[in-house]
Amino acid sequence: MQQQRRDPTEKGDGRRGQNELEEQVLRAGLCTGCGACVNICPYQAIHHDRTVTLHACDLAQGRCYACCPQTPADLSDLRRKLYGKTDCTPELGPMKGFFIARAADEGLRQGAQHGGTVTTLVTLALREGLIDAAVLAGEGEGLLPRSVTITDAKVAAKMGKSRFVVSPTVAEFNRVCRGDAAKIGVVATPCQAVALAKMRTQPVSEVESGIEKLHLVVGLFCGWALSWQKLAALLKAKTDLAQVTGMDIPPSRYHTLEVYTRGETIRVSLDEVTPCVREACHSCDDMTAEFSDLSVGSARLPEGWETARSWNQVIVRTQRGMDLLELARRRGVLEFREPPAENLQKLKAAALGKKKAAASRSKYLNSTANVEETDGFGS
Amino acid sequence: MRVNLVKDPYNIVITGVGGQGNVMASRVLSNMLVRKGFKVTIGETFGMSQRGGSVMSHIRVSSASVWSPQIPKGAADLIVALEPIEAIRVLAGYGNPSVKVVVNLRPIYPVGVITGEEEYPSAETIRATVTALAAEARFLAATEEAIRLGNPILGNIIMIGAVAGLGVLPIDREIFERVIRDGMPAARVEGNLRAFAIGEASVALKSPPSQ
Amino acid sequence: MALDREQKEEAEVLLMGNEAIARGALEAGVRVAAGYPGTPSSEIIETLSRSSETGKLYVEWSTNEKVAMEVAAAASFAGLRSLCVMKQNGVNVASDFLLHLTGSGTRGGMVLVACDDPGALSSANEGESRHFARLMEIPLIEPADFQEAKEMTRWAFDLSEQIRNIVMVRSVTRMSHASGNVVLGTLPALEGKAEFLCDGPLSDPERGPVVSAPVMAKHRLQQEKLRKAIALFEKSPFNAYSGPEKPELLIITSSACTLYSREAVSRLHAEERAGILKLGTTWPLPPMLLKRHLRKTQKVLIVEEVLPFLEDHVKILAAEQAREIGIKTFYGKNDGALPTVGELNPDLVADAVGRILGIDPPAIPAEYGEKLRRLTEFLPKRDQTFCPGCPHRASYWGIREALQRDHRGGFVCGDIGCYAMATLSQAAGFHTAKTLHAMGSGTGIASGFGKLGPFGMTQPVLAVCGDSTFYHAAIPALINAIHQRADMTFIVLDNGGTAMTGFQSHPGLDVNAMGEAAPMVDIAAICGAMGVPVTIEDPFDLIGTRETLNRLLEEPGVKILILKQSCALSPEKKGKKRFLMRVDDTLCRGEACGCNRLCTRIFRCPGLLWNRERKRAEIDEVICAGCGFCAGICPAGAIRSEEAAKP
Ligand SMILES: Cc1cc2nc3c(=O)[nH]c(=O)nc-3n(C[C@H](O)[C@H](O)[C@H](O)COP(=O)(O)OP(=O)(O)OC[C@H]3O[C@@H](n4cnc5c(N)ncnc54)[C@H](O)[C@@H]3O)c2cc1C
Ligand code: SF4
Ligand code: SF4
Ligand code: SF4
Ligand code: SF4
Ligand code: SF4
Repeated sequence: MQQQRRDPTEKGDGRRGQNELEEQVLRAGLCTGCGACVNICPYQAIHHDRTVTLHACDLAQGRCYACCPQTPADLSDLRRKLYGKTDCTPELGPMKGFFIARAADEGLRQGAQHGGTVTTLVTLALREGLIDAAVLAGEGEGLLPRSVTITDAKVAAKMGKSRFVVSPTVAEFNRVCRGDAAKIGVVATPCQAVALAKMRTQPVSEVESGIEKLHLVVGLFCGWALSWQKLAALLKAKTDLAQVTGMDIPPSRYHTLEVYTRGETIRVSLDEVTPCVREACHSCDDMTAEFSDLSVGSARLPEGWETARSWNQVIVRTQRGMDLLELARRRGVLEFREPPAENLQKLKAAALGKKKAAASRSKYLNSTANVEETDGFGS
Repeated sequence: MRVNLVKDPYNIVITGVGGQGNVMASRVLSNMLVRKGFKVTIGETFGMSQRGGSVMSHIRVSSASVWSPQIPKGAADLIVALEPIEAIRVLAGYGNPSVKVVVNLRPIYPVGVITGEEEYPSAETIRATVTALAAEARFLAATEEAIRLGNPILGNIIMIGAVAGLGVLPIDREIFERVIRDGMPAARVEGNLRAFAIGEASVALKSPPSQ
Repeated sequence: MALDREQKEEAEVLLMGNEAIARGALEAGVRVAAGYPGTPSSEIIETLSRSSETGKLYVEWSTNEKVAMEVAAAASFAGLRSLCVMKQNGVNVASDFLLHLTGSGTRGGMVLVACDDPGALSSANEGESRHFARLMEIPLIEPADFQEAKEMTRWAFDLSEQIRNIVMVRSVTRMSHASGNVVLGTLPALEGKAEFLCDGPLSDPERGPVVSAPVMAKHRLQQEKLRKAIALFEKSPFNAYSGPEKPELLIITSSACTLYSREAVSRLHAEERAGILKLGTTWPLPPMLLKRHLRKTQKVLIVEEVLPFLEDHVKILAAEQAREIGIKTFYGKNDGALPTVGELNPDLVADAVGRILGIDPPAIPAEYGEKLRRLTEFLPKRDQTFCPGCPHRASYWGIREALQRDHRGGFVCGDIGCYAMATLSQAAGFHTAKTLHAMGSGTGIASGFGKLGPFGMTQPVLAVCGDSTFYHAAIPALINAIHQRADMTFIVLDNGGTAMTGFQSHPGLDVNAMGEAAPMVDIAAICGAMGVPVTIEDPFDLIGTRETLNRLLEEPGVKILILKQSCALSPEKKGKKRFLMRVDDTLCRGEACGCNRLCTRIFRCPGLLWNRERKRAEIDEVICAGCGFCAGICPAGAIRSEEAAKP
C-alpha cells in the first residue's frame, strides 16, 4: 500500500504532540505553512509565511501533530473514509469526472488566474446558500499572503488570482469555524486539503474543533509554493513589489515565472525561481488536491497557451462537487468544452512526476513502495 | 513596669509571603514590646518581599541586650505564620520540641503550584505536620476573618491578636491600642482594634490541643 | 514617625538601622542629602525626605550615585554638612568622582554611607565597598548595632570636618534592614549659611579652588589626614573589647558580625574562653589598639563579611609587630574557617569558634531532628516572580511572542530593576532575557552585540531598561549604539517609578524626593533628540506591542520602543482593581489539547490558579490585581473581565 506515509521512528502508539511536530516537521524544514496547527490552541502562530511555536506545549498527543499534512498518516484509510467507493486513480486520486470549464462572465475571468472557475464556484455556493462563508487567499503588503473569510458573494467575485506564496488558509478556517458561520467553504492547495481531511477524520481533542462546519473544499492544482522571504527578495531586485498585480507559471516548456506589473510583464527564469520553492513542497506528492470535493487547475488546449490560459481543468471527486458543477452549468455561470482526448493522460503523467520526485526526497515515504506498481484504489 | 520573659532572649519568627503585611506585623509587635521596656531586635528579609517570595522577620526580645538579627537554627520559641506552608518552612529551619506555632490557614500558592509542577499539601497534612512538630499549635482562618472585616490585609493584625491571646508575651489590647493610635491614621484604628480582638478571642476560646 | 523633629529627645524607640543612620545625620545637622535608590540603602534618604519639610534640609534622589556624591560634595564645599547614600555597587559608579574628591578634600562634614549586601539578598552581586576606603585612602567606620548606627553616623560628620575629607560609613543588609532600640539624641538648630569660598590660592584648602591638584601635594596632605584619623581611632569608643583578660581565642570583628560573634560565644557558653574585639573603625586600623589586644593570646579569629579585608590588615599589623606580640595563629577566611562567599550568621560563627575551641554547638534532640527532616521534605519552594498585574510580565510576554515569530534566535540583554527577574528566574521572563550585569549594561552590551553582524551574527538583539535605569546609566550606552549604527532594539520598560526599591521618584516624574513639584524629563523626548524615532506602546495591548516589535526587529540600526504601563504597586494602582476577573468554567479548556493550561502553566500570574480537582483555571480574588491582561491570552475566551465600578 504505497500511500501510507510511515514514520521510521514510530514507537507504535501513534501518540504525538507539539514536540514531535517541531522535530519532524518544523525543524526538519517540512512545514508547508498550511496553518492547520494554528488557531486551534495558543502555541503555534504564523508569522509572514512561517509557522512558529510560541511556547512549549507538553501534551503527549495533540491535534497539531495529528492534522499536520506532513506527519505520517494512512492516507488510503483516510480516502476510504471520505470517498467510499468512488473510482480512484493512483495519479489523481478519487475521480467522478474530468472537465474543461471557465466562467461565463468575461469580467470575472479578467480578474481571475485562469478561467475563473474557482471564483465562479465559490460565488455561486455563497449565493445559493450552499455555504455561508468562504475562506479565500488575499494579499497583504509586499506580496504577503493573507487569508480572509468572505460572506458576500459580490466580494468573493473580486477575490480571484493565485498567490504563489502559501496562504494560512487552514488557520483562518480554524478561526472562523468557532464563529457564527455554519457552513464554510475553503479554497485549498493540496496540503491544506490534506490537513482539512485529517481534521475531519481524526478528532483528538475533547475541545470542539468546528470541523463539522466544513461544507465545501475547492482544491487547487499545485506544483509548488514559494517562500515569501525568498520571493520578495528576488522580485525586489527586479521591480517595486507594490506594482505587482499577479503572477503565473505557463506550461513547463516556457520555463518561466511571469510577473505582471502595472507596466509590463517580467519573465523570471525558473532557474532563479526554483531556489525560492518551499523546502516542504519538494516532498509533497499531491499535485491535484486529491482530498477535495473538486479541484481546479490550468488547462492545456490544442490552440496553445494563450487560449488555454483562460480555461481550467476540473477534477470532480465527490457528489457534492458534482452537484455544484452541475448547478453552475444549469445557472449558466460556467461554460464547458470537451476535454481533448490526451489531456487526462498528460495530467496523470504530470501528477505521477510529482509523486516520483517526492518519493525520492521524502524521508517519511515508505522507501520500498513504488508508485508505478500499484493497481489503484476502490476498484 | 516590666514583666519577666519566659526566656531571654525570647525568639519569635513571623513568616509569610510578600504582600501579607509581615513587616507591619513585626513592627507592631516589636513596638509593643519596646514600650514595655524590652530590648528588641528585628531581622528582616524583605528585599524582594513584594514579589511573591517567602518573607521572614526574626524578633529577639530581651530584657538586657541587643541580639543578632538572625535567630540561630533550631532556636525559635514562637512561630507566627501568615501562610501555612511557610510555618512548616520555618519549622524546618528553626523548630525545636518546645516551639509554639500560630498558623493562618489561608494558602498562597507558590508559582510552582500554580503551574502544576508542584503540589500544595492538603490542609490536613499541614495541620498534622505542624501539630507533630510544635509543643503548641493554633490554627486560625485569619484571612477569611479579615475579609469579613472588609480587608484581607488585616489578617496580620488578627495574628498579632492571637499572639497576645497565647499569653506568652507581656502584651495586651491596651498597649496594642497605644501603638496603633500613634502609628496609623485615625480612620484605620477601629478596624485594627477589631482585628486584634478577633485574634485574641479565637485563641482564648480553644483549649490548647496538647497540655 | 519616630524621627520627627518633635520627637522627644532621650526617648527610646524602635528604629530600623537605616532610620538610625538617618537620625544620626539629622542629629549631626546634615543640610544636604543625596542618593540613588538601592536595596538595602533606600530607607535612609526616604527617612530624611520626610524630615525635609522644615526647609532647612535638602534631600534628593539623584539620577545616579556619582551625581549624588557630586551634589553632596557641593554642599560640603559651601561649608554645609552633607550626606550621600548608596548601595555597594553604587560606590563603584561614584568611585571616579570619589577618587578626585578624596584628593581635593572637603570642607563641611561630608559622609558617604554605603550599604553592602553580603549574600546578595537583593543584589546581582555581593561586591564590597570596604575596599574603596583603602583604595581611596579615606577613613572607614562600621556600626555594630542600631544605637551605634546613629552615633557613628553623627560622629562621622565631626571626623570629616577634623580631617577635611569624606568619611565612609559602611552598613550591611542585616544592619540596615534590621531594627532595634535606639535612644534619641538632640537635634541641633540648623543655621549655617551656604557659601563657597574660592578666592584664595590653589594651595589654600580652606579658601582656594577645590581641586585635586597639585596632585603630589594634595595626595601628601590626604595621607596626613589619614594619619590624623588613625590617632583619633586609637581612642575611639567604637572600638571595644569584651571578654577575659587572657582569652584562649581572640575574635576580631566588626559590623553585624559583632552580634553574630557575641551570640556564637554565648551559645557555646565560651564567655570564659573567648574574647571579642569589636572594631568600629576598620580602615585604617589603629595599630596600638590592635597591638594591645593581639598580645592577649595566640589564637585569633577574624569574623567579617565577605572577603578577608580586616583579616588581611590585621595580619599586616601582626607581622609588623611580631617581635613584640609574638607569632599568632590566624583563623578566618584564608584558612577556610569561615566561608568567603555569602553572609554569615550566628550558626556559622558558632561552628567556627566551636571547632577552634573544641566545643560542640548546641543541637536539637536527634529524634526531633529526624522527625523534622522527614515531615518537612515535601515543601513546595516559593520562587520569586513578578507581582500580580505587573506590566513586566506582559512586556516579556509580548517580547517572547515577537522573538518566537521573528525566529532568528533573538534575545534580550537584561538590566537592573524588577525586570531583572526575567534573567534570574526563567519562568518570569519566558526565557527571553539572557544577560544581566550593572545598571545600564544591558544597553551597552546590546550595542556591542549589534556590531557583530559582519562576523556572522544574525540574531536580533534587544536591550531592556527601566525608566529609572534609563536616566542612571543607559543614556551614554544608547548614544553609543546610535552613533556606531549598532543593530539593536532598545526597550524602555517605563513603569512610572523606581519600583524595585519602593517607588522613589526619578526625573521622569513630576515630583521630587521631598514631594515638591518638579519638571519631568521626558524619555521619549530625550530619545527623539538623539535622532531615533520612538514608538510608545502599552504592554497590556499585546497585539500592538507584538506587531510593533516584529516590525522594529526587522529594521536596521537602533530602534526605540517605550513600553509604558505603571507598576502594579504604584500608588495609583495599589489596592485598586481595574477589572473584576473570573474564569468561565464552561469555556475553560483546561488541560485539553487546545489550551493545555496556558494561563497557569506558561503565563503564571500568581492571580491565576489551577484547580486540580475541577480541572479548570480559577482567579484568586485576593491575589489578582485586576489588570485584565490575561483575558487577552486565553485561547477560549474563558477568562472574563468586567470593568470594576469606580470607587
Ligand atoms: C501556490 C499555487 C501553485 C499552483 N500551481 C499550479 C500548477 O502547478 N498547475 C496548475 O495547473 N495550477 C496551479 N495552481 C492553480 C492555478 O494557479 C489556479 O489557481 C487555478 O487554475 C484556478 O484558476 P481560476 O482562474 O479558477 O482561479 P481564480 O478564480 O482566480 O481563484 C483563485 C482562487 O485561489 C485562491 N488562492 C490563491 N492563492 C492561494 C494560495 N496560495 N493558497 C490557497 N488558495 C489560494 C484564491 O482565494 C481564489 O479563490 C497553483 C495555485 C497556487 C495558489
Ligand atoms: S495544545 Fe494541542 S494542538 Fe496545541 S500544541 Fe499542544 S498538543 Fe498541539
Ligand atoms: S504543515 Fe501545516 S500543520 Fe504542519 S506544521 Fe506547518 S503549518 Fe502546522
Ligand atoms: S506543493 Fe504541496 S506542499 Fe507545496 S504548497 Fe503545494 S500542496 Fe502545499
Ligand atoms: S487580571 Fe489576570 S494577569 Fe492581571 S493580575 Fe489578575 S490574574 Fe493576573
Ligand atoms: S488559558 Fe483559558 S482556557 Fe486555558 S486554562 Fe486558562 S482559562 Fe482555561
